[in-house]
Amino acid sequence: MTGLFKTLATAVGLAAMVATPIIATAADLPSNVRLVIGSKSTGGDTYQNSAIIAEALSKKLDINVKVDAVGVSEAFKALDRDSRGTTLMMFHDGAYMGNLYGVRGYDDIFEKYNVGATVSINPGNAYLVAKDSPFRSMEDVFAAAAAGQRIRVAIQAGGVSEIGLSAMKNAAKIMYPGAEENIVAVNTGSQADKNQLLFDRQADVINGSVQANEQFTQLPQDDQKAMRFIWVTAREKTIKQANPEGMGNTTSEELLGYTTPNVSVTMDGTNDFTFDKEFFFLFNKDMDPAIIETIDNALTEIYAEGKIQETQKNSFFIPNFLPSKEASAYLKDKSETIRKIISSISTQ
Amino acid sequence: MDFLSILTPFFFTLVASGTVIGIIFGAIPGMTATMAVAVCLPLTYSLGLENGLALLLGLYVGGISGGLVPAILLNIPGTPSSIATTFDGYPMTQKGEGERALRIAVISSFVGGIISLAALFFFAPALADFAIKFSYVEKFLIIFFALTVMAALSSNMLVGVFSGVLGIFLSLIGAYDISRGGNGELRLVPEFLEYYLEGGFSLLPVLIGIFGLSTILIEAESGMKDEKGLSSVKIGKGKRFDFSVFKGQFVNLIRSSGIGTFVGILPGVGGSAASILAYSQQKNFSKNPERFGKGEPSGIIASESANNGLTGGALVPLLSLGIPGDSTTAILIGAFTLQGIQVGPLFIGNNPVTWDAMIVAMLAANIVMLIVMIFAIRHIAKVVMIPKNILFPIILMMCVVGAYTINYGVMFDVWTLLIFGLFGYFAHKIGLEIAPFIIGFILGPSAEIYFVKSIESFGTLSIFFTKSWIAVLLWILIALSVWFSVAISRKKKRDLTASGN
Repeated sequence: MTGLFKTLATAVGLAAMVATPIIATAADLPSNVRLVIGSKSTGGDTYQNSAIIAEALSKKLDINVKVDAVGVSEAFKALDRDSRGTTLMMFHDGAYMGNLYGVRGYDDIFEKYNVGATVSINPGNAYLVAKDSPFRSMEDVFAAAAAGQRIRVAIQAGGVSEIGLSAMKNAAKIMYPGAEENIVAVNTGSQADKNQLLFDRQADVINGSVQANEQFTQLPQDDQKAMRFIWVTAREKTIKQANPEGMGNTTSEELLGYTTPNVSVTMDGTNDFTFDKEFFFLFNKDMDPAIIETIDNALTEIYAEGKIQETQKNSFFIPNFLPSKEASAYLKDKSETIRKIISSISTQ
Repeated sequence: MDFLSILTPFFFTLVASGTVIGIIFGAIPGMTATMAVAVCLPLTYSLGLENGLALLLGLYVGGISGGLVPAILLNIPGTPSSIATTFDGYPMTQKGEGERALRIAVISSFVGGIISLAALFFFAPALADFAIKFSYVEKFLIIFFALTVMAALSSNMLVGVFSGVLGIFLSLIGAYDISRGGNGELRLVPEFLEYYLEGGFSLLPVLIGIFGLSTILIEAESGMKDEKGLSSVKIGKGKRFDFSVFKGQFVNLIRSSGIGTFVGILPGVGGSAASILAYSQQKNFSKNPERFGKGEPSGIIASESANNGLTGGALVPLLSLGIPGDSTTAILIGAFTLQGIQVGPLFIGNNPVTWDAMIVAMLAANIVMLIVMIFAIRHIAKVVMIPKNILFPIILMMCVVGAYTINYGVMFDVWTLLIFGLFGYFAHKIGLEIAPFIIGFILGPSAEIYFVKSIESFGTLSIFFTKSWIAVLLWILIALSVWFSVAISRKKKRDLTASGN
């Protein structure tokens, strides 16, 4: 071994030491907390929502909370590794939907982790068509599917993006049995990809969001990029809580025109399907329950002060704080409803 | 808010400090512009939107530019988009022209940045409208076009193409990512490695392993011998820099900056493709293609003007469609969402002050980058004078820390660095070609996804020939690129035969 090899080996050892995380613990919570999120995007709603919560918790508990956009797989792995409370996770309904859709790598979060407090709703989950599309409403879509026309819906498989498609297929099955087979998924990735499929007219309907797509709905009809909302999946009462000015040039009142009862996607022939995308904490199962209690108490105080609600609403989030126990039971119920929708169309 | 009231000394201080920090990030192997922007993103909360953007855009321009330093001096691309800079930059350093290569690269970067900024300022909405004409089909053909470069960059075409295909193969290891439209299932992964290889091998650890670590291992094997630890490279031994090197390079600068800008406006194609395409086009159009890879300044000009051309280009879809053009602007979009600002087709019209502030920040960042790097080059270039027994362990440690931090602390990325470092070492021994391998590795996943999605959308292979006039044009470019590569290879063989005789 040359002298240079020995020096190199020393350098690798030193680097490994530098790379080892340093843990500093406070009373209940460590003073440095890593909030991993199930998204790799810092431009998306998960990061934005988590950043608001992280900042509020940092101030309230006088600790550092750093949001890391590591993506679903790495976030679950990081949470699995750390029961000390140094790593917490924030994600949305996609955390359990992946499991319901049978996506590899998604365990049952209600079994494997402690489901923590819900903090907010993004009411913007939406479905859009091109502005010059013959489909101007969900009724048009269902009627076309019933008439045998193939409707291509661009989604990202296995999560929040897909649940609206599942609900559409379920509704079509109830209203026009057999028509659900004409509503087909076009599996794609990012919002950019979904938009591009609409620009190319390779999709008839795309999943999007009020936040990401609203400006496209303001473009004139002769613009290739112009879009039209046909369905906002949020509950009517959720949209009613948003600031009246809504998002961009679309007021909350106008958004209500795209939610139930103005747009009907039936769940069982009587009730309409609605879906609010909710954000919540996930904790390592073996983490000290005192940490969960500390977070719950801190959030209770933060929400009682009332400032965070303003921040959330200004970013088009609807405040929705529920402490861990209530949140866990509530989300479990919600997941069972979604499970029924998914199993209804999978047994068609 | 009044536009002029935003342009405070604090605003320009943020641009300048962002640019300097970005250069440092870009210059450290394993650290990238993306990482610099991600680290500083939360600061936009306290700084406000315009001041926050001033800092982030400085980091962006500085980070992309800083990557040229290790690419030229150490043969380690500081960022993936600096790969093509190593092809001629490092050979120039070996000839004692490191300082000259750095100056050429910095000026080319500046020109590329300014040209793309002008394109952004004057044509953003029109360019965005053009960009949406590129569907999966056209994007696949662009990637395919970039892949044809593998042949041109090889000293032995057959081995080069094999190395490139091997790179593509290894890049496909891991899950067929749902977030890119896949089914989430694992491919090519042994069961015992499923936990680690879920997301495949990360690009940056592969890159710094194969370029950085393997070089260090090769040097370590030869030992220090009679050099007494000093680098064999001497600065200033070769030609000195003067502006005559840019004589006859006007077309190269414009074309390469244009390629960078154009690739930037196409979301999902990426900066590496920009510099590789620009480099290969310059080689194809050159009267002396045989000089490329041996220290040809016009190769550096092409690569660096293209990768900085990307900076303005990538902002086009971000600010006109709300779609980030590359990985760094994907982080940058967070600055807007954190402030509750919608980015989409109406952004420029609705936010003229922010738009103007961004243009001024980009311009200032390019100027600061030019000034700082031009003055610092003399000192930076001295890094090659540091004895190897001090320099290499430092580089190795930076590589390891960089690999560990790139995905926020994944130890397997360090193993990836070491695995591909050894791979690069053995590839060198058995004659595999590294440049085509890494190009295949970078472009493989995009090629796959765009190919599969084209077929899924259109259901026929003929769509690649019939989709649009753009597709036809791209096929012509692909054919020309292959033809040039074959012609260059034959000429090389003839020359070898002639010299043998």
